[in-house]
Amino acid sequence: MSLRAITDLLWKAFFWLSGLFILLVLLAIISYLIWRGGPYINSQFILGNPAGTPLGSEGGILPAIKGTLWLVLLALVFSIVPGLLTAIYLSEYGRSGRLAEMINLLVQSMSGVPSIVVGLFVYALGVVTLGWGISLLAGGLALAIMVFPVIVVSSRDALLAVDENYRLVANSLGVAQSYTLRRVILPRAAAGILAGILLALGYAAGATAPIMVTAAAIIADSSGALLEPVMALPYHLYILFNEHISINQAYATALVLVILLLLLNTLALWLHSLQERINNR
Amino acid sequence: MNAVELINFSTWYGSKNILKNVNLGFSSDAITAIIGPSGCGKTTMLRSINRTAEMETGFKWDGDIHVLGQSIIKVKNVARVRRQVGMVYQTPVALPMSIKENVLFGPRYYGIKGELQGDAIVEDCLRKVALWDEVKDRLKQPAFKLSGGQKQRLAMARVLAVEPRVLLLDEPCSSLDPASTNLIEELLKRLTKDLSIIIVTHNLFQARRIADETVFMLEGQVVEKGSTGTIFTSPRHEKTRGFISGLFG
Repeated sequence: MSLRAITDLLWKAFFWLSGLFILLVLLAIISYLIWRGGPYINSQFILGNPAGTPLGSEGGILPAIKGTLWLVLLALVFSIVPGLLTAIYLSEYGRSGRLAEMINLLVQSMSGVPSIVVGLFVYALGVVTLGWGISLLAGGLALAIMVFPVIVVSSRDALLAVDENYRLVANSLGVAQSYTLRRVILPRAAAGILAGILLALGYAAGATAPIMVTAAAIIADSSGALLEPVMALPYHLYILFNEHISINQAYATALVLVILLLLLNTLALWLHSLQERINNR
Repeated sequence: MNAVELINFSTWYGSKNILKNVNLGFSSDAITAIIGPSGCGKTTMLRSINRTAEMETGFKWDGDIHVLGQSIIKVKNVARVRRQVGMVYQTPVALPMSIKENVLFGPRYYGIKGELQGDAIVEDCLRKVALWDEVKDRLKQPAFKLSGGQKQRLAMARVLAVEPRVLLLDEPCSSLDPASTNLIEELLKRLTKDLSIIIVTHNLFQARRIADETVFMLEGQVVEKGSTGTIFTSPRHEKTRGFISGLFG
């Protein structure tokens, strides 16, 4: 075997091992969580309220699950419409214009803002100045600001991936751009946009910093009232662990959170591959 | 009256001058072929006439274009110009919807009265492009399943459905097999009864077969225009003679 072939083989092995290493880390995390938390997960844990002294050392995490779902739902309500409209502007109307370039830069910078800073901003604006208090509304807004760039970028890229010939052909029939958008571009990009939204959803569900200062409470019933504080999975986990309430309950909570995120990401991945099949057709 | 008239018309992409002060008329209800080497501005000319050239960033123009006697270059309502001047592109494109909806893409926007009228438009336009017999049993199937030649005829049906007065074709047969090419040529000859057709082609035989008049372009300028017979048998310019005998281009 020539030296070149050997180096080639070594490189290949190196790349392969790197991939394998990441996979092993992920597997290790999940199996460890299953080992430590699995035995404590039962219907009472999923559907019950926190109990015991200190609170949370026994019982379940239903209000935290509900709270996280409420927060994520609200974040999506706040971010999908502006995010999608911005993406449509960037891909269909602004293109490489000055304003579009500036918006692209802004969105990119926005995704670089630390999430705790977003949380503190919403704390100052919503919780204090507007008098919402620690509330579902404030937490939803903070998460919305955090995921907005994710939605813009993923939707923009899904729209830009639509065959340029469709735009040319459709527009040269003398129809309005919005008609082409509605009948051709949006349906073609739908799966990709949805995949991006699901990724954003997962990102929001796992975020702790923005809700710590805006929405989360150690105990709340998470009824969905906008101006009430809520419990949330990542924050509950943080409290259980940090206050030494119950390490077993913490592992079980972590497992539930990770399974939730894995489901969301798998669904997003599936939608993404569906979009790719549509694009190649 | 000429169907299309270019008057002192020039275009630029950024700082690159593409068309250089072109004065040219295209006859009504006839087929005019534009020939010339790649990059001489043929496509830019077509796309200027239906106002799609400006979709590219950095496009600038000077001069005037008249379609059926009216200036279209400053018209604010671009959609009206594009409807009047249909265009078929080099790559056959089927919009991602059914065969029927492809034909009705324009009409649905302009408004059709009921599905019956829609069906009538679909049949009429597909018959005009000799596609009806091949697809009449699968109108609701996605159009991407059609062959390249069928897609190109579908593209023509889609354009005809909005009733243009001028039809521009940019090398419509360059990716098609000889049989499909032949079909499209036959069809163009029939369509010219009530439509002015301008076709850009790299295939000199094609120009000779179907065009009433031929324009030879070089480096953004019109070198010679005349009846197709004259251009191919006794061109006035040395450069035209060189091009059609395959000496360059």
